[in-house]
Amino acid sequence: MIIKVENLVKRYDGHTALDGLDFGVEAGDVFAFLGPNGAGKTTTIRILTAIIRADSGSVLIGGHDVFKEPAEVKKIINALPESSGYYEWMTGREYLGFFSDLYEGKTSTQDIRALLEAVGLHGKEDHLISSYSRGMKQRLGIARSLINRPKLLFLDEPTNGLDPIGRRDIHDLLIDLNRKHGTTIFLSTHLLDDVNRLCNRIAIINYGKIVRTGELEKMKGKGTIDDIFFTSTEGGTL
Amino acid sequence: MKTAYIMRKEIRESVLTSKGFLWYILTSVILSVLSYLFLTNSELSLLDQGQMLYMIMNFVTALGILIGVVSGSDAIAGEIERGTLEALLLSPASKTEIAAGKLAAALMNWCIIFVISIPYLFVVGKGGQNLLSGIVYLAVLGTLLAVIFSAFSMGLSARIKSMKNSLIVSFLIFLLAGSPIFLSAALRTTWFGRVLDLVNPFADAINTFDSVVVDSQGFSYQTGRIAIICGYAFLSLLFLKRSVSRLEM
Repeated sequence: MIIKVENLVKRYDGHTALDGLDFGVEAGDVFAFLGPNGAGKTTTIRILTAIIRADSGSVLIGGHDVFKEPAEVKKIINALPESSGYYEWMTGREYLGFFSDLYEGKTSTQDIRALLEAVGLHGKEDHLISSYSRGMKQRLGIARSLINRPKLLFLDEPTNGLDPIGRRDIHDLLIDLNRKHGTTIFLSTHLLDDVNRLCNRIAIINYGKIVRTGELEKMKGKGTIDDIFFTSTEGGTL
Repeated sequence: MKTAYIMRKEIRESVLTSKGFLWYILTSVILSVLSYLFLTNSELSLLDQGQMLYMIMNFVTALGILIGVVSGSDAIAGEIERGTLEALLLSPASKTEIAAGKLAAALMNWCIIFVISIPYLFVVGKGGQNLLSGIVYLAVLGTLLAVIFSAFSMGLSARIKSMKNSLIVSFLIFLLAGSPIFLSAALRTTWFGRVLDLVNPFADAINTFDSVVVDSQGFSYQTGRIAIICGYAFLSLLFLKRSVSRLEM
């Protein structure tokens, strides 16, 4: 198992954001983490990526304890946060170069070019990020999250606000990453179409608890993904 | 090494964006006007060179602190508000390395202001006996004050997570630190005024400049005040380290 979460609890000012979360993700999965707004998806990702600490519980990523060995965890993971900002005064190439410098085994200039090409930013790499469209910035964010060739990639609402072509391109890129490079993808979303297209396993979170988890194909026998989602999150807000 | 890359990014941001460059232009313009007035205005030119040098040194120090306060307030909270901090926290750079890189860049801003001021200090203080020692004291104490105010503002911005609010609080503390200088000479000679002067790092630096440049006193007269400034620098670094280690998005 590449992710093993046990009894994870996180409270903010008396409000329980995560209330004893338990789930696991196998290496090679494209795992959908579904839930209504405020269910605890972003908090979970921030804990799993060693950005914030939990109040209790344990998280193992690739066998490393995320609370005790955050540096080891950061070597094998990367993430695209939900509301990612960019250094607008940099060019796309400079942006990737800056993040690449922060890793051991720095990415070469050719690899950076190849990465920009893979996300469809070929020809725009020397343009200032401030001139990029929202979709281009999202692609750049994905390129940034691939800079250390992660084994496990967290994506928080990666297709939010993108037009259908942008969404399709990102879908294709993620499918390619998973199939060709074996990257495990942890996809937090509330766009059920993304789940149908990309994921093999899902977990549904509501009020800080996992209310359903399993293989998508098996679950589909009990109704559409929309039915599964709505029956599991009654009382939540999509 | 990660600290160095973060520092380089911060410096590029300061130099390449109008935010930072404006400070340097403003410093040059104000120092030019001040120096011109000192040398040409009939009343100001009656001041001896030590006094003129002392006034320019005070101005450069205050400006260095002000830049430290602004860049410190923006360092963490600004990145949170622009949505760029999370990507940085995802990288292998630790919170301490990120803060150290940002602090080093803030100090680099002070260094640039100091370098800009050197020709003006020479023009105003040339021929005076304490010019070189004045410049050395300005370099050392200005750097320590830049550490104090930048680290404090940065720590505050990590705790408050709002650039506007941390800037307001840091700026008020800067004004508070500068206020004893505006006390009357009579009040400053009372025990209350002396204590106020002694516990205030900004006043300590200004009084040290006065002692060195105007009164030509040696290092032994300055040790107490310098020790207090060093103490504040240590405490502000500790505050920054604790604030960033607790930082959560």
